[in-house]
Amino acid sequence: MFKPTTLAMILAGGRVDELGVLTCYRPKAAVPFGGFARVIDFPLSNLMQSGIELIAILSQYRSYSLINHIGTGAAWDMIGRYRGISILPPFKDYESPHWYRGSADAVYQNFDFIKYHDPKEILILSGDHIYHMDYRDLIQYHNEKNADLTAAFIRVPATETHRFGVADIDDEDPQGGRLLSYHEKPQRSDSIWASQTVYCFKPETLYRVLEENQQSDSYEFGRDIIPMLMERNARVYGYKFDGYWGYTRTIEEYWQTSMDLLGAEPKINMEEWGLRTNLEHRGIRDCQPLKVEDNAEIDNSLIYNGCIIDGTVRNSILFPGVHVEKGARVTDSVLFFNTVVGKNSRLNRVICDVNTTFGCNVRVGSGNSAEKQGNISVFGWNNQVPDNIQIGSGCTVYPGMTVASWPRGPIGDGEVLR
Amino acid sequence: MKKSKDALVLLLAGGVGSRLNILVGHRAKPAVPFAGLYRIIDFSLSNVMNSGLTRVGVLTQYKPLSLMRHVGTGDAWDFTGRTRGVKILPPRTGEQDSDWYKGTADAIRQNIDFIQANPADEVVILSGDHIYHMDFDAMITYHRHKKADVTIGMMVVPKSQIHQFGAGITDSDNRIIDWEEKPKEPRTNLASMGIYVFKTSYLLEALSHDRRESDFGMHILPRAIGNDRVFAYPFYGYWRDVGTIQAFWEANMDVIRPDAEISPEKWGIRTNTEADGRPMDRAPARFFNGSRVCCSMISAGCIIEGVVENSVLSPGVVVEKGAVVRDSVIFEDSVIRSGAVVDLVICDKRVEIGAGAVIGSGDKATVANKAYPTHLYTGITLIGKKAFLPAGITVGRNCVVAPNFDGRNMPAPLEIADGLSA
Repeated sequence: MFKPTTLAMILAGGRVDELGVLTCYRPKAAVPFGGFARVIDFPLSNLMQSGIELIAILSQYRSYSLINHIGTGAAWDMIGRYRGISILPPFKDYESPHWYRGSADAVYQNFDFIKYHDPKEILILSGDHIYHMDYRDLIQYHNEKNADLTAAFIRVPATETHRFGVADIDDEDPQGGRLLSYHEKPQRSDSIWASQTVYCFKPETLYRVLEENQQSDSYEFGRDIIPMLMERNARVYGYKFDGYWGYTRTIEEYWQTSMDLLGAEPKINMEEWGLRTNLEHRGIRDCQPLKVEDNAEIDNSLIYNGCIIDGTVRNSILFPGVHVEKGARVTDSVLFFNTVVGKNSRLNRVICDVNTTFGCNVRVGSGNSAEKQGNISVFGWNNQVPDNIQIGSGCTVYPGMTVASWPRGPIGDGEVLR
Repeated sequence: MKKSKDALVLLLAGGVGSRLNILVGHRAKPAVPFAGLYRIIDFSLSNVMNSGLTRVGVLTQYKPLSLMRHVGTGDAWDFTGRTRGVKILPPRTGEQDSDWYKGTADAIRQNIDFIQANPADEVVILSGDHIYHMDFDAMITYHRHKKADVTIGMMVVPKSQIHQFGAGITDSDNRIIDWEEKPKEPRTNLASMGIYVFKTSYLLEALSHDRRESDFGMHILPRAIGNDRVFAYPFYGYWRDVGTIQAFWEANMDVIRPDAEISPEKWGIRTNTEADGRPMDRAPARFFNGSRVCCSMISAGCIIEGVVENSVLSPGVVVEKGAVVRDSVIFEDSVIRSGAVVDLVICDKRVEIGAGAVIGSGDKATVANKAYPTHLYTGITLIGKKAFLPAGITVGRNCVVAPNFDGRNMPAPLEIADGLSA
């Protein structure tokens, strides 16, 4: 009888402080990305296309938006007799009164769920990366090597290695080899292979190391579990991935990864990758086609259904329901659902969360692209930005400011409003 | 909250709609794509949903496959649930008649068992081929208030157009006292929209008189007006019968006008996003440097490098560099290669127009189509599904290019002159 043999667990618990106001009300996995989707749609769509049909999502921080987004799982074809997505929130019982204390602890606390399904492989992913990967290749390699753990690695610039888990990988096979060493966020490193936090575990090994790890006071896969396995000489393999890998951990990274959707040869091709999102979430299925009016000028941009454009849009990504009114200009920006840009306003290098309204003649960022580009300004959701206000670059505006609560006069570069 | 108890809805979706020419070569008229993301029947089905009605029969006959796929489980319009449902009602063989539907009334008559199996005080009868936004709940309330046997949705149209409709003459209470079916010399400008609310018992009785009475407008209504309480329900919004190429094109253009009277989104029109092509599972529309778009509707999944003016593009349409699309309606996944010009064209799905081709060339809109002079006479050229038009070809005005036309081995000169078909 056919039953899924791989259980995938997506770690979607956290919020990232660096993403600031975008994660005031949602976990980072539910942050909108790509003009209609959410970050977690990338691993979910990868799973769907890899034929992996049993999925658990470990969710802790402000999970409502995520639960809403997953819905029945039908968007990724995850409903059926053996198919399904389970959301696993933290819980209390007699032994463990804790929140999830780290990625490894979150998985440990759900051992009964895992053992109930009795998978042959456990695939552990993060919910916050933008990439297209067929996990079957990695799982096959894992099984060929009879590995305890196979982790995916990608080449990064030498200057960046201090931000990742970095490994020396033996040149055994074209697709990877045994891990010779592993260091979490090293000061210096000779290797340029960075962990993508995509792990395939042999279940018995996972049960054993996570059980032991409970004695410790730190519960992270990268910092604790992999070093522990290396120390014990377990069969840890590195699988080399050479596709695109985008991060969304900081505002700068989020913006840069978004910009990788644009250009003549975009690095991220959602159509080709077969990206799916839940069209019921925020009702984007009810949008009519994009309406481009008389005065519109659009260059190098992605714009989804439900937008109305009568101004200029350049190098930008517009989610459903964005209105750019006559004379307004949006450049190098990412505007989430239902943002309204009033007449003659200019937004340059802005990331704006849902339901924010810019009045008329608002200026954000240095409008002139010939000047040195300023930092990204971020607006939280449900903001109302008053008419005629000047806002510098690199500003942060917390959610829910009404017109009355804005200061008079211009807002300087880097200011934070709340 | 809706006020009226659930009426039963019967949607007539069986007509050939032959005046839509090759657009109905593979599909029934209600299944013809409209306004980029939708199909014509979405407007009726969404009106039913937004009126709070939950039991629907869709009467099909002509080429129903595409329509059946589109209606699907009815989930798109919230018709799934314990007491909700949408049923496809094709013609069937009975004990005595194994006949096709002979007309609107005959189609309903052949489904009397469906009406009896779904008891309701009223039956709402609609067409599946109109573009409009209407609250049937209000109409049913009106119907009850008037204690009517039949209530007919009616609107004012120019006298010059009344000959296409059933026309009703009303008294001061909106009661219809006389009826003219497609009158040459109209006495009124009040036209029937083909939307009826019947008292169920009255409908069953009216249909039992004479099996030869096959049409509501010709047979059932005139007799009802003579003998019973028939009322006009005046409607003042946007309503179009898109049964002709010209009307279909105009209604699409109505959607993109700056002061558009049609707004599918505001009207709450839904489509089946799970149907073939999965029209919404597409990335946002991509605009490259140098693209120029104005006064148009562009669906997700389109890739625009060229110029698009005054046009409606369904999902996945590609307009390459230097190509120009003007005053046109382009269905899903058609490709306009670089430098091609597409002017005043309705283009079915998955058409490829080669580089440098000119579709809709010249300004001789006066030469009507030779084969179908009543279908194409204002300059619109039609391109059938999956047609391939080779690079450099010139196609004139009022032309018809058949579905699956393959111009790869076309002899020179590469030209289809005004009014000709290929």
